[in-house]
Amino acid sequence: MDASHASELQYFLEQEKQKAVLNELVGKLTDVCWDKCITGTPGSKFSSGESSCLTNCAQRFLETSSLILRRFQSLQQ
Amino acid sequence: MDPFSSPPLSGSAEGPSNEVVMDKVKQQLAQAYAEEFFSTVRDKCFTKCVTKPSTSLSGSESSCISRCVERYIEATGIISRAVITSLPR
Repeated sequence: MDASHASELQYFLEQEKQKAVLNELVGKLTDVCWDKCITGTPGSKFSSGESSCLTNCAQRFLETSSLILRRFQSLQQ
Repeated sequence: MDPFSSPPLSGSAEGPSNEVVMDKVKQQLAQAYAEEFFSTVRDKCFTKCVTKPSTSLSGSESSCISRCVERYIEATGIISRAVITSLPR
């Protein structure tokens, strides 16, 4: 395989890997936040409380992730 | 059958073209994702809707499951948007 073909595949795989990482994050977050926010029987639409809980949950999770990362970094100094 | 084999017209002597390989990879990733999503929704909605399994699914259990599937798909969209808008630039 010549170099340009190999690098095209390499770029493609890098893109697909990033998409897969994102999909996994969304999947895990939906799992966790569903359990936290959708406590009763599912209705024919989300209440505004339920949908804002889902959004808040995702944002707070990401903030928590950053916070913990910064803690680890400061512990290593 | 080898998923990467292609008819002589679209391949080269060295094997399948990049495009064929990339398409196959995308297809298989999409398939794996769909299987995992199905599995998650099934587990979540069974837990939510079938609290006391009996000899058949009742009408209310079935409609709960339908609503649950719709809501879970909707939840995935809500979370997806929240994650994408939170991504650092």
